[in-house]
Parts: sequence; C-alpha cells; structure tokens
Amino acid sequence: MRLTFDDGTLLLEDAPDSVPYAEWDDRVDEYRAQAYRYHDLHQWAAPSSRDQQTLAQATMASEPLEDDARAYSDLALSPAVAIEPRGYQQAALEAWIDHDRRGSVVLPTGSGKTFLAIQSIADAGVSTLVVVPTIDLLNQWHATLTNAFGDQLPDDVGVLGGGSHTITDVTVTTYDSAYRYINEYGDRFGLLVVDEVHHLPAPTYQQIPEMTIAPYRLGLTATYERADDQHEVLEELLGPVVYKEDVDELTGEYLSDYETIHLEVELTTDERNQYEEEYQLYRDYVDSHDFDIWKEGGYQEFLKRSSYDPQGRRALIAKQRAEEIARTAEKKIDTLDNLLKRHYDDRTIIFTANNDFAYEISQEFIIPCITHQTATEERTDLLDRFRTGEYSMLVTSQVLDEGIDVPAANVGIILSGSASKRQYAQRLGRILRPTDDRQPARLYEIIAANTKETYVSQHRRQGVGTDADS
Amino acid sequence: MLTADLARSRTRNGSVEPLFIGPAESRYRETAQQLIDIFEDHIGEPKGDLEETIDQLTIADTDYKIVQGLAKLLTDECEFETVATADPQKIRQALFAKANESYPIVRQPTLGDDTQRLEVYSAVADQLGLSLEECYRGMYADLEDNMLLVRFGDLYVDEYTDEGRSSTTRLTGDSEETYAEDTISVDWLLTRYNLALAQAVLYDATQMRIRVWDHFNTVFSYVKLFGLMHRIYPIDETGEWVDSTDVAAGYEAILDGPASLFSKSRKYGIRMANFLPALPLCDRWEMTAEVLDGDGGSTNSGSLTFELDQTDGLSSHYSAQDEFDSDLERTLAQKWERATTDWELRREDDVLDLGAEVMIPDFAVEHPDGRRAILEIVGFWTPEYLEEKLAKIEAAELDHLLIAVSDRLDCSATDVEKVSDQVLWFKSGIHVYDVVDLAEEYALETDRQKLHSE
Repeated sequence: MRLTFDDGTLLLEDAPDSVPYAEWDDRVDEYRAQAYRYHDLHQWAAPSSRDQQTLAQATMASEPLEDDARAYSDLALSPAVAIEPRGYQQAALEAWIDHDRRGSVVLPTGSGKTFLAIQSIADAGVSTLVVVPTIDLLNQWHATLTNAFGDQLPDDVGVLGGGSHTITDVTVTTYDSAYRYINEYGDRFGLLVVDEVHHLPAPTYQQIPEMTIAPYRLGLTATYERADDQHEVLEELLGPVVYKEDVDELTGEYLSDYETIHLEVELTTDERNQYEEEYQLYRDYVDSHDFDIWKEGGYQEFLKRSSYDPQGRRALIAKQRAEEIARTAEKKIDTLDNLLKRHYDDRTIIFTANNDFAYEISQEFIIPCITHQTATEERTDLLDRFRTGEYSMLVTSQVLDEGIDVPAANVGIILSGSASKRQYAQRLGRILRPTDDRQPARLYEIIAANTKETYVSQHRRQGVGTDADS
Repeated sequence: MLTADLARSRTRNGSVEPLFIGPAESRYRETAQQLIDIFEDHIGEPKGDLEETIDQLTIADTDYKIVQGLAKLLTDECEFETVATADPQKIRQALFAKANESYPIVRQPTLGDDTQRLEVYSAVADQLGLSLEECYRGMYADLEDNMLLVRFGDLYVDEYTDEGRSSTTRLTGDSEETYAEDTISVDWLLTRYNLALAQAVLYDATQMRIRVWDHFNTVFSYVKLFGLMHRIYPIDETGEWVDSTDVAAGYEAILDGPASLFSKSRKYGIRMANFLPALPLCDRWEMTAEVLDGDGGSTNSGSLTFELDQTDGLSSHYSAQDEFDSDLERTLAQKWERATTDWELRREDDVLDLGAEVMIPDFAVEHPDGRRAILEIVGFWTPEYLEEKLAKIEAAELDHLLIAVSDRLDCSATDVEKVSDQVLWFKSGIHVYDVVDLAEEYALETDRQKLHSE
C-alpha cells in the first residue's frame, strides 16, 4: 500500500479492502482517507510491539506501507527563552506528552499558553504549524516564535496570512488562511498547534485539522466548553483535554498593579459644532423610529435599517463621523504632548483605536508605530528594539497583550479605545509593569469631554472590576 | 471577484438566486460611468484618496453594496505601487534611531526650544541624501493608503513629472505589454458584475452539476485547471443519460473535490466560482449547484439550490480554445477535404473518462453507415508519458480509439515497450488513407446515423 498526500486527503494506492478509515473513490479507483487518519493508518499498518502484546495479535500480518505522504522534517530546537516553566506549565506539558502528544490544554488567559506551545514544539521535534484566530495574534506568535527559535531556523519563522506567504519549518497562520491553503500544505507539518481552539469546531475551520497529516496536535484555550457541544468534535480531531487549570488559582498571581489617571479634553469650537451636527443627525433618526437603541437588539435593528433606508444609512455615517471627531480630538494631541514631556525618560506605549491617528502621532512625534498594516517581520523587529531598550516609545492601534512577546512598559496612554471590556482589561494587565518598586506603573486615558466617549469610558471601567473576562 | 460581504442574493423556497442588475438600467449605467471616471481621474494618485472618493458616493446611498462591488471589480483591474526615492522602512529606521536620542520631541516650546522635530527630519534627510520633503513623505510611502495607482485597465502612468503630476498613456495592441482585458467600459463592468454576483453565491457551494452540449474541450480544461474532480456521464439532447459517449450529444459532470467524499465541504466553492466563467463559453449549458445555507454548526445549516443556464445572460471573459489548436490538425482536416473517401473527419470532442483525468480526442472518423472511430493526435511525448497514456486507454477498453503519434522527436517506436495496433506512427504529417485503413479495422457500429439525420 502506498500513501500519498492528495489535495488535503490521503490517497491509498493498492490498498487492501480491509483498510480502515478509508472510502472507495470511484473517481480515481483507489481508496481515499481523510488526512488526519495518517497516524491511525500507520498504527494499523505496523502496530507497535506493545499493542501487539496487549492485544495478543502478535500473529497479525502487518501491511507493508510505503509513505510518500509525509513531507515534514525532524527538527532539533531548544527554546532560547531563559524562563523556567511554571509548575502548571510543566505539568501540562507532561500530560500532553503522556497522551501521545495529542490533546488540548485549558489555561486561563495570561498564564503563558504561548510559552507552553514553545516547550511542546521543542519536545515534538518536528515541523510545526501554529494556527491562530486573528492577525494580531499572528503577529504576536511570530514575535514569540522568532524569539524562541529564530536563530535556529535557517529560513526564519514562516508567516501565512496578513499579506505574507512564506512556509518554513515553523510557520504561523490565521484560521482563515489555514482553511484556504491547508490542502496544499497539510503534509508539511508534524505538529499542529491551534490557539483559541474553541473556535475550531466551525464547519469550515474544522477542515484545518482534517486536512493535516500531523500526528502530533496541541489545542490551547481558556474556555473549552461551547454551548453547542461542538467541542466533542475537537476530541476526534485533536485529542482529549489533557490538562485543565482553573481561573481562580491564577488570578492576581502574575498580574501587575498600576495606577489609572483619567484626563478629559474639550473639543475645539469647530470640532464641537461638527460633532453636535453629526451626532444630532444620528439622534434624530434614532428618536423618530420605534426601536430603543439602548435595549437588547436595538443597535442591530438600527444597522439593519441602515442597509435599506437611505436616511438610516446617513445616520450610521453621522454616528461614525461623530465618534471619529471625539476619538481624534485635537486637544488629545496637546495633552499627549504634555505627557510625553513628563515621561520622556520612561518606557511608554501609546494606544489609538485607528490607524490614521497612530500614523499621525508617529510622524508628529517620530515614534515607532505598529498597526495591523505593519508587516509581521517589521513588527517583530520594532518590538524587539523596544524590548532591548533601543526604542523607548511605541504607538500602536493594536491590542498588544498575552505573555512574553510584549515587552514591559511602565507608562500606558490610551488616546481612544473601543468599548470592549475584555480588550481593555487585557491591555492594562499584560503590558504595564513598574520599572522599580517605588513607583507603580501608570495608565492614562485621554477622553473627549461631553461626548459619547465619556459614557463608554465609565461603562468600561465598571466592567473591569466585576467582569474582566466577558 | 467580489468579497463575500459584497455578495447580493435572495433565498426563497430552498433556492438561492443572485440579485442581478439590469445592464441597460440608466441608474446603474450612471453609477458605472461615474466610477470609471473616478478611477481614471485617480491614476497617479494615492489609493487612500481613491477609496475616500468612492466612499463619498455611498454616504446616503443604500445601493452602497452595488457601488462598492462595482468598485471592487475595477480595483481588480488596477495596479498600485509604492513610489518613493528611498526605501520607506530604511527612512523610518533612521528616523526612529535619531529620534530616540532626542526625546522628548514635543510640539510646544520647553525652555525655548521647539525645533527637535525638524532637526531629526533634516539630519536623516541629509544622511540618506534626500530632500526634507522626500524624507517626510517617504517615511510611510509604503502604506497601502499611500501607494499610487499606476495602472487601471489599459491606462497606465508613463512617468512622474516634476510637479508631481503624472501623464497617462493607453496601451495599444502592438505594445510589448498587452492585457487580455478589453478596454474598460460601462457594459464591460455591468456584465462582469453580474457574473461576479453568481460567482459569489458559489463561495458556499459544496457540489456543482453541469450539463454542456458543446465546447467540451474548453470546459474540461477549465475543470482541470481549477483543481475540481469530476464524474462524467454522456447525455442526449434532452439531458437524459445515455450509455456511451459515441451517441452522446452532451455531457453531464458532477464537480467537487477530494474531501467531498467524506462530507459536504464548502472548501471547493472558490474553485467552482473560478470555474463558472468557463460555462458561458458554451452555446448551451446548465448548472445546478448545492449551496450551504448559514455558517453556524452543521446541524442547522441546510442546503440550497442555485441554478443557472445560457438564458441568464452571463458572458465570459475566459478564452475558448481554438477550434483547431495545432497546425497538424488543421493540415489533416485540409487534406481530408481533398481526399476521396466515404469516411468523414469530424471535429467532435467526445469526453472520455480515464479515471483521474479526462481525455478529449481531437477528431471522430465517421462513416455514413454509422461506423465510428475516434482519433487522438499525440504530437509531443516522452516514452513514460506515452506508456502511461496507452495503459490508461487500454484499461478504459476503448477499442475504437485510434492514436496518431509523431515520430519526429528523438523518441521513436522502439523506445516504447507496449504499443497496440491502434497506434499510427507518422513523420511529417498524417496520411488520410492510413487513418481510413485503421478506421475500417477498429471502428464501432453505432446508431449515430439516426442522430445526425434528425
């Protein structure tokens, strides 16, 4: 029997009719199996001696197997990160290894999932594909993997997605790009790492593990259970949950303290006039229609209307324009200016909620800038220079959170932010660390006074205390 | 093609149909013209400005999906380029390095000194041999918004003049670079838009069933090109299955991909969307696709039907294969004209299913009494290729298939181990009477006579 990788599946040439996991494909007159059966097919063809003894099948004739499917390499990597694994990380790694390097690990946000992944890549010693949900995470993983293994990989860490298309022995990709290209590259990796694995059971994304031959698989998440019970699919495709650490046991332990200062700026007269004009357009529309924008489903109703009602569309644009005026208020730049004067000796990260504003600040104050448009390699380089102290300031429109890839800063300045409670909490907790014990880290939030931002900010702060993970 | 968010379709009674727009309706023609003008006006200008201008069109317009969709198709005909005197990333790096020594770089004067910013830019400009303006503008010239539109259809930027204005040139047919596309016009855009709407419905397709009655060669070349798998059934004029390709008026094919064997997969939807424009190359065709509804869990998503045929007014921008795509075949056809034989040479493209691939022979050789053979011409080959091909033909038990193989190349009959008697070797050209002799020997009795006389 000869095994070949064919467009995301395994073609089993000259297979006996007793071959398991396979379907007869009358289009090519051969048996075909899903790629994730690669490991099972090997087990079937040549059962390990241990299995033979326990199953008393020593006489079973094994099927000679010619493997032309595997296109991944063995690697000898050791992480260049001089951090001792924490107790639970070591325990999780061992549990995963004991389960034949297949399965998911459930760890709370901020507990070093990335670090665990690096340990398992080194342990498995094969080409690895890391699949993550967003471009932000793609960039973060690229930075982290480059830190850990960059010097040991002749072709660097590969990136598939966000405009890059380089496949190397250790490659990071997004769910969307992986779904699109997995049929081409599913034979190139022996270990599949899936971050935020609870997203995987969607029918499309499910094809990522299905079309991969990788015998080793690791899922990572903080929230394994899904309401629709689809996590059972994960057991089939990745393996069972091999380790679980509860949130309570970790909260507070590794998060730093910081002091928050809220600053309000007034809109200029011009801005105020424009703001009122646009915001009024929006309010008038909302008030003259019989849905309550503040109630559940109200905003969805508004969006729906804006897709067929020209006035609704205009109201939506008015709302967006008003928000933009508040977000990029001129006086915010003046306030920033003052803060930079005060903190020029500190390590400062400035957040904006949109790219244009980030670039404006970058050009105005000559500060390195990271947005979702920044190429992954340049982003990693900028963060590296910030980490080593070569750069002391950074402006970004992205969420920089999670573990070891983000270098510590002791001053954070939020120029505008979204209303997402989760995003806010993560921004604060992961980045700010005091430079010395006497002075706590400090976070400034600059808000435009008497605009909707004031409301959003209050709303956000209330959320952080009680429900940081929502 | 359109992005999924720009798709427009309606679902009713288990079937889905794209919301085609009337290419003759004046409001769409006006929008199309307006957009084409905007693109032409923005040649040499930053992409961000172009997009901003397009967005302005949609502020109070609920047809914004149409506007953005049309704009997307025009953008597909564009090239954007970073235009800068020095590598922007180098400029940035130099600036940040310099700036880090000079912080705080702030707006308002502290201790009477507010020139740090200018000093940093000037120092780096000098260091890199740029003007201050080139340094400042070049810093982020590689951002998508700052890239310049350098080509739109067959219009492209010639050169940049000193005033920053650009002059444009229309490419002509005999210039070195020629583009497959016609000059972009309102009709071109609206036709392409309707095709794109149909393609967008297919993004979620799990299987496609096509029926074609002509241009088989072209259609199956595109099936193969886009990596679709197929099961093929010969059909008659009405679309009913028939027993053999010899009496087929057309072909039905079920198209999907390797993993479709295990579960309904929308993975191949994009391939089907890419393939779709091959169908309007046929004079008569039908297409039925199975489209998954909703993106939720597998339990609540049902299947919808999407149907199209030659009456939907779609037209293709793909190219059909030439009627006679090699000199060899044309010469044989001409010689046949002059020869005296009852056998007729027909340009008849049967589709022979050889398992993993189809073979589409070049000719049929037919006798008025209904006898019929098919002829495949092999011009270029290696011994491995030919042996593989012959093995497949043997396996498919096609006894009435004649193969004419060129002997001109380095390889010759002696390099090939197994050669059946159905192979005709030729040196410079194929002789009509050699083919007739073989046809007399191997042709198959068919009731095709009746079909043709109808």
